[in-house]
Amino acid sequence: MAVVRYIAGRLAFLVPQIIGIVLVSFLLIKAVPGDPATLMLGPMATPQTIAELRAQLGLDKPLPVQFLIYVDKLAHGNLGTSWQTTKPVLDDLRVRFPATLELVTYGMLLALAIGIPLGVASALGKRGPLAKLGGFYGLVAGALPDFWLALILIYIFYSLLGWVASPIGRIDVTVTTPHMITGFYTIDSLLTGNWAAFRSSVHHLILPVLTLGLVNAGPILKMTQATMERTLEADFSLYGRLCGLPEKLVIRRAFRNALPSVITIVSVLYGFLIGGAVLIEIVFSWGGAGQYAVQGVLNSDFNPVLGFVIFSALFSLVVYLIVDLIYLAIDPRIRR
Amino acid sequence: MTEAMRGEAQSLVTRANIRQGNPASAGRASAASEGPAVIDVRDLEVAYYVYGAEPTRALRNVSVRLRPGEILGLVGESGAGKTTLARAIMRVVPRPGRIERGEIFFMGTDLGAMSEAELSKLRGRDLAMIVANPRGELNPLLRIGPQIATIAEVHLGVSRKRGLEMALDMLRAVAIPDPERRLRAYPHELSGGMAQRIVIAMALICGPRFVISDDATSGLDVTVQAQVLDLLRKLVREQNTSMLYITRDIGVAANFCDRVDIIYKGEIVEDAPTEAFFSGPAHPYSNFLFAAFSHNAELRRRWMGSAPSPESDAAEALCLYADRCVKRQVRCLAEHPALRELAAGRLARCHFPVER
Repeated sequence: MAVVRYIAGRLAFLVPQIIGIVLVSFLLIKAVPGDPATLMLGPMATPQTIAELRAQLGLDKPLPVQFLIYVDKLAHGNLGTSWQTTKPVLDDLRVRFPATLELVTYGMLLALAIGIPLGVASALGKRGPLAKLGGFYGLVAGALPDFWLALILIYIFYSLLGWVASPIGRIDVTVTTPHMITGFYTIDSLLTGNWAAFRSSVHHLILPVLTLGLVNAGPILKMTQATMERTLEADFSLYGRLCGLPEKLVIRRAFRNALPSVITIVSVLYGFLIGGAVLIEIVFSWGGAGQYAVQGVLNSDFNPVLGFVIFSALFSLVVYLIVDLIYLAIDPRIRR
Repeated sequence: MTEAMRGEAQSLVTRANIRQGNPASAGRASAASEGPAVIDVRDLEVAYYVYGAEPTRALRNVSVRLRPGEILGLVGESGAGKTTLARAIMRVVPRPGRIERGEIFFMGTDLGAMSEAELSKLRGRDLAMIVANPRGELNPLLRIGPQIATIAEVHLGVSRKRGLEMALDMLRAVAIPDPERRLRAYPHELSGGMAQRIVIAMALICGPRFVISDDATSGLDVTVQAQVLDLLRKLVREQNTSMLYITRDIGVAANFCDRVDIIYKGEIVEDAPTEAFFSGPAHPYSNFLFAAFSHNAELRRRWMGSAPSPESDAAEALCLYADRCVKRQVRCLAEHPALRELAAGRLARCHFPVER
């Protein structure tokens, strides 16, 4: 019951958090030079038509009024339209946000699958070959630019070996996209039994997910290793050995005690990658949310940028809420 | 303790005796006077290797024997090597320490010849250790009950259910109020004294033959300390366990132990039955410790030497206590004294032991 009340309290707090985030990003984006009206009408526009368009867009009003108008629309579920795609931002993001989310989620899962075992191994055997691999990997992964790694992988696995689909988009153009349910092509195609779409989307996911996984396994490895080294040397681990507990059990308990730190780094990476995977999206023409927002910034297309900020803020807040619930489940010390 | 618990402990004792080929353990008094050694440490040397420096000799030629049921007090100041000795007996010398020389026999078996797997079967079952900082020793994420029960499950092969029953009996034995509820508690919900009792329960649940208490009660309030000590003595006597009781408090040793060993700079400097020791310590350092705990200012002044000097290379050649000793003579600076017998069962490492 206490947990339900806790979640309700956290959710109620979401609204003021979102308003604060919108205010700050609104002010920041208005501070960027560039006039959408000029860009929309092109070089041949007269000052008069520009002024008319500005009035039409509400850009001539004072900043506080513009903000209130935006918030009012937002409250009615209207994120405005993008002048580049000429579509409502909400519709654009409904497709693009899941695209990014699908990419980033699989990328994170792969990063976990690489980072945690290597991190534990390097914490355990300070001199073993796996520890050496872990140490080397932590070093290299931190220094690899993700877009560079993506290009190398494309060169090897697409150009040279031809093992994967062409690195353009989320699915082959010849394949019908699955009916949208979650927005994840892999899941939607499975749900609708569209095997061709499933195969094609998996093929398209392989390289970008591999890139994200390989790069982001680095910080997860480091965090797992550092925390495990600490919990393995903690008094309770030493006492466990003094009580003759099998080493496997001592390690398992030490890992459980290291888990909160690992979850923290995962949640931070996850929230960050929604926008941070943009270079990967560009390399693979993914058509995701990050790419959408960057296009918006470059072209003074404010609504997509603000829409993206709101979506990723909501996403991060939900991730943090889930993380806090996980902490609550595994650490009794904060359960009060 | 319930009947079942007692039965378990008793059967362990018997089993250990069968292993040794001993007749069923006799009364404590007779067992303590003859009986074979439960723990026999012979000429143990431990050194700490610090990079770029001479290794520090933490234990020098330490020999310690404990008979069944005996409580031996090991008294010394910080850094004298008390914890190193405890960890060496458990065969978990903290890094960068190394056992250089010497043997440790448990019930006649050389622990040094055992594999890590064999040792970990002994640890927690026959060789137990009670440590200070009890809250740090308990895993903060696990409930008390399973933490205690696991030890019985691992060593005695009992089920989780039986393990929890045994844990509950142990909580009763260490006089924890409302034990059923405490089984479900987490370490952070316990007071320091309570956590200390939990650690005692963990150490004693398998009815060990030998227990080391490493300064375990010094962090407690005096009143709680007295309770915990009473409890510890009762449990140890009931299970006929031998115990190495490490402390800095010579007063506690006087009340609690059968025999007292004084350790200074990694060397045993005096070994005597408690009564004989407290009626007249022989080594000047023992007298100093004794005086330091008394309220007699004159007595304190008489034995108070200068501050200890750092380790000197010439340590082999002189008495390690010479720099602080108020009774120092020329011979003390020239010749390292041996631990020699002054009277039956009384040993001191001094050229000029104090006589009474």
